[in-house]
Amino acid sequence: MIYIYQGVALLEINELKQIVEALLIATPEPLTEARFNTCLGDSDSKIPLKEIIGELASDYEKSGRAFFIKEVAGGYQIVTNAEYESYIKGLFSKSGKLRLSQAALETLAIVSYRQPVTRNDIESIRGVSSDSSLRTLLDRKLLEIRGREDGPGRALLYRTSTEFLQYFGLNSVKDLPRLKEVEDILAEDDNELV
Amino acid sequence: MKNQLHRIDLEMFEGPLDLLLFLIKRDELNIYDIPIAQITKDFLEYVDLAKELKLHSAGDFVLMAATLMKIKARMLLPIEANGDDEIEDPRTELMNMLLEYKRYKEATSTFSEMERFERPHYYHVPATWSPQQEDNTAILEDVKLYDIMLTFQYLIKNYEEPATHSVAVEEVTLSEQVGFLNGLLQAKAKLSFADLLEKFESRLVVVVTFLAILEMLRNRQVKVKQSKLFDDLHISRGSTFGN
Repeated sequence: MIYIYQGVALLEINELKQIVEALLIATPEPLTEARFNTCLGDSDSKIPLKEIIGELASDYEKSGRAFFIKEVAGGYQIVTNAEYESYIKGLFSKSGKLRLSQAALETLAIVSYRQPVTRNDIESIRGVSSDSSLRTLLDRKLLEIRGREDGPGRALLYRTSTEFLQYFGLNSVKDLPRLKEVEDILAEDDNELV
Repeated sequence: MKNQLHRIDLEMFEGPLDLLLFLIKRDELNIYDIPIAQITKDFLEYVDLAKELKLHSAGDFVLMAATLMKIKARMLLPIEANGDDEIEDPRTELMNMLLEYKRYKEATSTFSEMERFERPHYYHVPATWSPQQEDNTAILEDVKLYDIMLTFQYLIKNYEEPATHSVAVEEVTLSEQVGFLNGLLQAKAKLSFADLLEKFESRLVVVVTFLAILEMLRNRQVKVKQSKLFDDLHISRGSTFGN
């Protein structure tokens, strides 16, 4: 198949695949459709990135590569297959990735479902001071500060970041499983009691 | 011995709500009809321990203990029936808090699961090599507020107040420092925060100047650039400078 690019140049699928592959290798963040078009110098290229990615992905799978293309944070990125974790760990000074504490996970859960939130919102749900978990999450760039609340005190507002989506392998916050409704919890508790 | 066991237990809890949920589950209590007297007694035992152990979150446990005792007291008071107003159960607010907390607590297991699943995958990350950076301060255009705060903390840590014995009260205001920075920026297109620090005689002046920078940043009178985290802050004229 041949794609028209910038009205003149004709790009063959193989050539496009190579371009996309090069972009995936060099991209510091997930490669989005918009960014891809910017790279082509044509904001409305009509070249279906998703299809090319699909072709590349099946090439990788057929030839048995140690990595694959992951759809994450609204774009695409190359990640390694899980089975090489034990080797890859040796590349880093710390022994692999540090897991988040229960406190940090609770804080993160509240922010991701209720964003933007203030520290006070988080603390009133958790019932404990959440300074240190917020600090950890900011340091690890899973959360970011996005502006201030309009109300009195103008408290800082926290949101999840692109790194958060990457960390949990999500394409967007909309992909988070639905938070259980209070009614569901009550129903379960009733069952437990019976 | 008993204390030893309790200690381990208590540190397992993320806070008073978590402990209450545990007590409710352990004793198979009904969350909509919490036996306040019983749960308060159990809870207080743990709080005494929290205080004894000087747990970081002891204050939060004490606060909850006070709330529980307040609810208990209100439940003992005879209910004054006034008209058709529905009488609210004094436990309602606590019940809602527990249910809300439980929702998020349950969600954390999903996050934990996703984390476990994603952990072995590593992203292909290109080396942070930047081709032909003619001006290395331009690398991090998008300096986040948090980065600026961290940098400030870092820079001020190394700032030593000159030893002095005078006790004169220093008067320095935010608007004075805004004026001062404006003056400097009129003469020079770019200022270095580290250089500014050297000019000042006291921490107070440093702090007020930093606040002035944040204020000007907010009004777009200045722009702040940084080449990497903890690096010096470069201050230049913003879009509304001089207006």
